[in-house]
Amino acid sequence: MASQVGRTASVTTTRHSLTRFQRPPRISRQIIKNPKTGLPQPPVKIVTREFAPCRLEDHYHTTLRDDLMYMTYTHEIGERPPPRQIRLKFDPNDPYTKHRHNPPVGGSQVGKKPAPPCTPENTVRLEKIQLHTMVKEAVQNKGQLLPAIMQMKALSGETFQGGGHHAVEGVQIVRGKKAVGGWVRPGIPIGVKVDLKGQAMYDFLGTLVEFVLPRIRDFNGVVLPPQSSSSNTPSTVSGVVSFGLPPNAIGFFPQIEVNVDAYPKLYGMHIHFVTNATGVGAQDKARALLSGFQIPFVRR
Amino acid sequence: MLSRTCSRNVVVGLSLRRALATEATTQTPGQPHENVGRVKKASKPGVSTSVILNRSPILTRPPTPFELAYYSYQARIRRSLHNPFPNDFYFKQGTLTETRFNIEERKRERLAFGPGFLEKEDISEEKRLANIAAVEQLAQQEGEGEELMPRTHAADVQGDVKSLDRRGHRNLYLLLHSVEGGKDVWRFPQGEAEKGLFLHQAAQKELHSACGDNMDAWIVGKTPVGVHKLQNTPSQDPASESEHVVFFFKAHIMAGQVIPTRESIKDFAWLTKEEIGDRVDQHYWDSIKDILSDY
Repeated sequence: MASQVGRTASVTTTRHSLTRFQRPPRISRQIIKNPKTGLPQPPVKIVTREFAPCRLEDHYHTTLRDDLMYMTYTHEIGERPPPRQIRLKFDPNDPYTKHRHNPPVGGSQVGKKPAPPCTPENTVRLEKIQLHTMVKEAVQNKGQLLPAIMQMKALSGETFQGGGHHAVEGVQIVRGKKAVGGWVRPGIPIGVKVDLKGQAMYDFLGTLVEFVLPRIRDFNGVVLPPQSSSSNTPSTVSGVVSFGLPPNAIGFFPQIEVNVDAYPKLYGMHIHFVTNATGVGAQDKARALLSGFQIPFVRR
Repeated sequence: MLSRTCSRNVVVGLSLRRALATEATTQTPGQPHENVGRVKKASKPGVSTSVILNRSPILTRPPTPFELAYYSYQARIRRSLHNPFPNDFYFKQGTLTETRFNIEERKRERLAFGPGFLEKEDISEEKRLANIAAVEQLAQQEGEGEELMPRTHAADVQGDVKSLDRRGHRNLYLLLHSVEGGKDVWRFPQGEAEKGLFLHQAAQKELHSACGDNMDAWIVGKTPVGVHKLQNTPSQDPASESEHVVFFFKAHIMAGQVIPTRESIKDFAWLTKEEIGDRVDQHYWDSIKDILSDY
């Protein structure tokens, strides 16, 4: 779609076409080959940027951002009360209690962290999407991770330091952190995850909303927590919305659907939508944002 | 509520000070508390609600020449640096879909790097033509090659400002041409706020009473997005002069069309920000210009 958009709006006033390759620069020096890979190495560091207009990002900037600012705005009169004075349980200067665990009295109260004041700059926006799969069989045989890795690669299109960006980590392997009763041991690979940012993130979101969610059977929307649930838990102040997709829904992604027979098995995954919202009510703001991208939410 | 009490206090304070000042300078013992007795009660400001009914863009924004060149340059870099495509993972050898992909891929490479970039295929000319014919047949069977709709709608060509399909890549706003006090004005749908209703409810009710029920509109949020103070017309009686404020609410039209229901509304139009600037008066424009979208 993006390329069609680009081509229709061609500009013909210039002498040369803006989109066509003109003439390659003359190569005056021998290009160095990478000793490890044997591949030619360009003499400069090349970083790729956006290569097409992004429909959902435009939608966010033209429509969603204003609406979200109006919907999530809370008016504050006067100055905010000073932040809570933290009193530690033990005197930190007392040599008798110096190395004791010293939590603040009344708990850390993470769930009551106030939201920052509403400004146009900190209107809720999507920062990244994280896809995550745990493969139980990989505990016995780590070869079982391979289809999951391939699935994540096909879904995200991310590679390690892809496009010359040093912060892009591609598909990562998740390892066990601690021993759980004869099941998980520290350091063994048990899952894969991938972080999506920028254009890739919006492309994934568009695919999810247009191709996958409408085709899942008996899916009315992501189920919201009951109204009676506490709004002071750490998860509600972090601005992250998560839900999972079952293995059969993965087959609806066009990237997978085109050769679904090539995968020995499909794995379900968790999708975490990470936004910049923090403080009380952050998760609601994040849900409002996702709702604007047409992810349905229902209350049971 | 708060603002009303505040304004009252201000009025009282001012008149008291003036009373004291006049006493100190003029010394009129006959009527010592003349002004204090006649403190004018600040009249209640009239409150109206107005809806900025928005049609969001329905097309992607056309890229500028710079963006176009930039995107194609970046796409070319990406194409030249990408990892090798795993052909055998995605296609069975010798299938028609693989042939199609190869033909399309050669076309894309030629477009990106020029005709001299690719080496000639090592297949015979007949085989190449046969491949192309087979792929074309496949495309016909799959019903490809449907014509895309043009980006300019008939409403753009005819200059029909009432159509919701005009200026697809811009935000459009509903403007009403109405008669107010014998004057023709262009403004957003607006009406007095009813007592007992919340402002956003009053706005919704007013919108439907002025523009008909033949549309699906949704008011964004319960808080007003802007305020406009009506200019007081210089009248003979200064006592009748009172403040009048208009609160703006943003709304989206989802479906349907406006059908004006009142005699006072002569016409309506769906306009972009610049077109609105041409029609409304300067005082109104100063209040609304920062609410409207530049895209």
